[in-house]
Amino acid sequence: MVIDMENRINSAWLTKLFTKSGDVVIRPIKINQNNITVYLFCVDGLINQALFDDAVFRSLKFDPYLANCVTERDMMDYLLEGGAYHVFTKEETDYQLLLKYVLSGMVALIFDSEEKAIIYDIRMFEKRSIQEPSEENVMKGSKESFIEVMRMNTALIRRRIRSEYLVIETLSVGRISKTDIALLYISNIADFVTVNKIRERINSIDIDNISTPAFIEEFLVENKHSIFPQIMYTQRPDRVSANLSDGRVALVVDGIPFAYILPCQLPMLMQSPDDYANHFLVGSSLRIIRYLSMIVTLFLPAFYIAATTYQSQMLPVQLALSTQAAKQNVPFSSASEVLGLLISFEILIEAGLRLPKAVGTAMSILGGLVVGQSAVAANLVSPAVVVIVSLAGISGFIMPNQDLSSGIRLSRFILAILAALGGFFGLAIGLILLITHLCSLNNYNTAYISPFVDVEERNVKDTLFRFPIKHFKKRPKDIAPYNHIKQGNIKDG
Amino acid sequence: MDKMKRLIIILFSFLLSACSHDMNRREIDEINFIHVMGIDFSEGEYVLTAIYSSSQGADPEKGSVGDEETSEGRGRTPFEAFQDLKLKNKKSVSIANTGYFLIGERAAQNGIGICVDFLSRDETVKMESLVFVTRDVEAAYFISQSIEKGQTVHEDLEAVEQKQQELVTRNDNTLVNILNDLENNITSGIVPYLIAEENSFLLQGYAVFDKLVLVDYLDMDTSSGINFIKNIIRAYPIYLKNNVGLSISYSKSRIKSKLDNNKVKIIIRLNFETMVKENNSKENIFSAKSLNSLTDMQNDYIRKIMQKATNYSIHTGRDILQIARLVQNQHSKKWSDLVDDWSSMISDIEYEFDIKSQITKSFILSTGK
Repeated sequence: MVIDMENRINSAWLTKLFTKSGDVVIRPIKINQNNITVYLFCVDGLINQALFDDAVFRSLKFDPYLANCVTERDMMDYLLEGGAYHVFTKEETDYQLLLKYVLSGMVALIFDSEEKAIIYDIRMFEKRSIQEPSEENVMKGSKESFIEVMRMNTALIRRRIRSEYLVIETLSVGRISKTDIALLYISNIADFVTVNKIRERINSIDIDNISTPAFIEEFLVENKHSIFPQIMYTQRPDRVSANLSDGRVALVVDGIPFAYILPCQLPMLMQSPDDYANHFLVGSSLRIIRYLSMIVTLFLPAFYIAATTYQSQMLPVQLALSTQAAKQNVPFSSASEVLGLLISFEILIEAGLRLPKAVGTAMSILGGLVVGQSAVAANLVSPAVVVIVSLAGISGFIMPNQDLSSGIRLSRFILAILAALGGFFGLAIGLILLITHLCSLNNYNTAYISPFVDVEERNVKDTLFRFPIKHFKKRPKDIAPYNHIKQGNIKDG
Repeated sequence: MDKMKRLIIILFSFLLSACSHDMNRREIDEINFIHVMGIDFSEGEYVLTAIYSSSQGADPEKGSVGDEETSEGRGRTPFEAFQDLKLKNKKSVSIANTGYFLIGERAAQNGIGICVDFLSRDETVKMESLVFVTRDVEAAYFISQSIEKGQTVHEDLEAVEQKQQELVTRNDNTLVNILNDLENNITSGIVPYLIAEENSFLLQGYAVFDKLVLVDYLDMDTSSGINFIKNIIRAYPIYLKNNVGLSISYSKSRIKSKLDNNKVKIIIRLNFETMVKENNSKENIFSAKSLNSLTDMQNDYIRKIMQKATNYSIHTGRDILQIARLVQNQHSKKWSDLVDDWSSMISDIEYEFDIKSQITKSFILSTGK
């Protein structure tokens, strides 16, 4: 008997299925007058019990019309037409969908004879309140950041884009986890080829569980071997809405407190919300500092190795002499010093991340100051190398995007090793390979380092410099090919 | 495409390993950077004296780079002497950071070309390093005396360079300029010479090289005249007889050459501006008439200085003003007819001066005493 009911909407089968799961509730509710029993099917802890009691349970027990219903079908029709005081109500006949809804926190009433269920969306579970973004904080601007609940996140975006063209498609990924993913785009701006490609990619993901954000990222990036981020993440709804308005596509994944933006280009990763909150000259200056920092963090250690090991004539006289004096009693080669200290720096960062905040700070002081100072005093490293590595390290953290920062940190190692092998020649080879790699990256039909490789007027105005907003008249053509007018003419004064 | 990428990476790796094999890999602390090099000729051989910082006394925390040490190399040629210097040194020796080359008088008399040829063939040498001649003495003596007096040679030379830059807009005694003159077979050249004062070096004027051999020293005025004609004057003091002191704040000269039946005429146009720096005259020098008079006086003053330079060239037949290059540039077609007899023509060059000046500022005190 039970075998016949397998994978069908039936209380007996569901009871057997979840017999060992203490949190899953399958409880009969008898409508006394007509002897009909419906089954409540929900997950304890995910539903709003008070609302269920008030809106559904009360109706089931005391509504006179329901008491007079002769068949389950009559009852279902009545409940669907508003018999229960809850607006998010739907009938479900698909067994798999029923399981998904209930396990994601909805409540189902099972009608065994009909083999159907009525779903009530009265989810309520513990969640974080909306807080300030921890990574992308700004002085002037919104203080809202995403939380782990997808629907809340989409609501934050919808609140900023009150357009009928904003589409929020809900997709599901994960054979076991059945994680919800919202695909967001503005239908009259975004390129449908890109949207379809992203949708296909998401639908093609066949994995048990989306346990970390990296799982989604790896499936979505086009060049999986590149260490440079090809998908941008942000905690800020305003940033998502700005990118959606540019024609890009956003993804909001349930359980992940940030959104992904695609297609991603390198200049995007160098932009910070503060650039737009400040005067354009201030914003441009900050951006130039960021680009300079990128150069410093990438090349400074490698330059030092090359200059102190192969081409010391590159250094000005006084610098060469002071470097020489600083290195006088250190027994290691410059390359060993720099690479060793770079590795130590990474160890410190990694250790700081894993420890509780208070301990992490103390460890940073201990590692950075005490050990650094002692290492210099013990002639294990020269003061110049400590300065070089610290400067490179600090410059690396100026990047607004931590993925980019990580990519650059890894590239820094490669360049340092090449410099150790071949001096400036090795460094030049590294630079050529790096530029070639960046130029070869293609991200959903857009060049990764666009607009540096295509000098379209509008794009250039928001890259190295942040021009006044009135100059941002067009969207990037490769992102929004059919609707690229962004702004009308503005009269000055 | 993947195969192509792999091929490129392999190619680069091969290039890297091949080229790094040929590179001179040496840690910076294993090198003695020569700050100053003296080139002398003594007892029939060339003597190179190198000054570098030793590790003794170096304190990185205080920014101290250590004491100065000297080292000497001898050989039949400067290159041989340099090899000897390298051999005698405990560490590897580099002239990559050498800022000053001092050429002793006798070495200069043997020929500047011989002294700097080996430098020109070193790929690490700094082309903007300055070359000086040490008047009357050997560079080694010059260096040893300075060290004995507790002077830091390269710092003193830096001071000389700074003083030079206060007076002229560019230093023409860089290695690259001298090598350029050698390359272009310039018959006469000039290099600044140094004399040793009590506690420092002093830049006096130009040493004259004829056919790359040191032949003479010019006094300060004649050297300044050359600077005016070469249009490299940044500042210059003028002391007039009526106790008025002025300083040139702007100077621009243009030289034009004219050829008439293979006779060369050089027209030198000079415009300069001065400021009154000192006024101990009893007259009011700021009246229009007095200012005109002062202007004429300062024009004469500068004319005389420039004439010293041109007269020297005429009397000695040495092209210290590098008129040959000017004529070659301005009359490139006719130059081939002149080039063979150029040496004999230098003394026949006619110079014409057109000097204009003005006194621009008088500051607060506008009347004389």
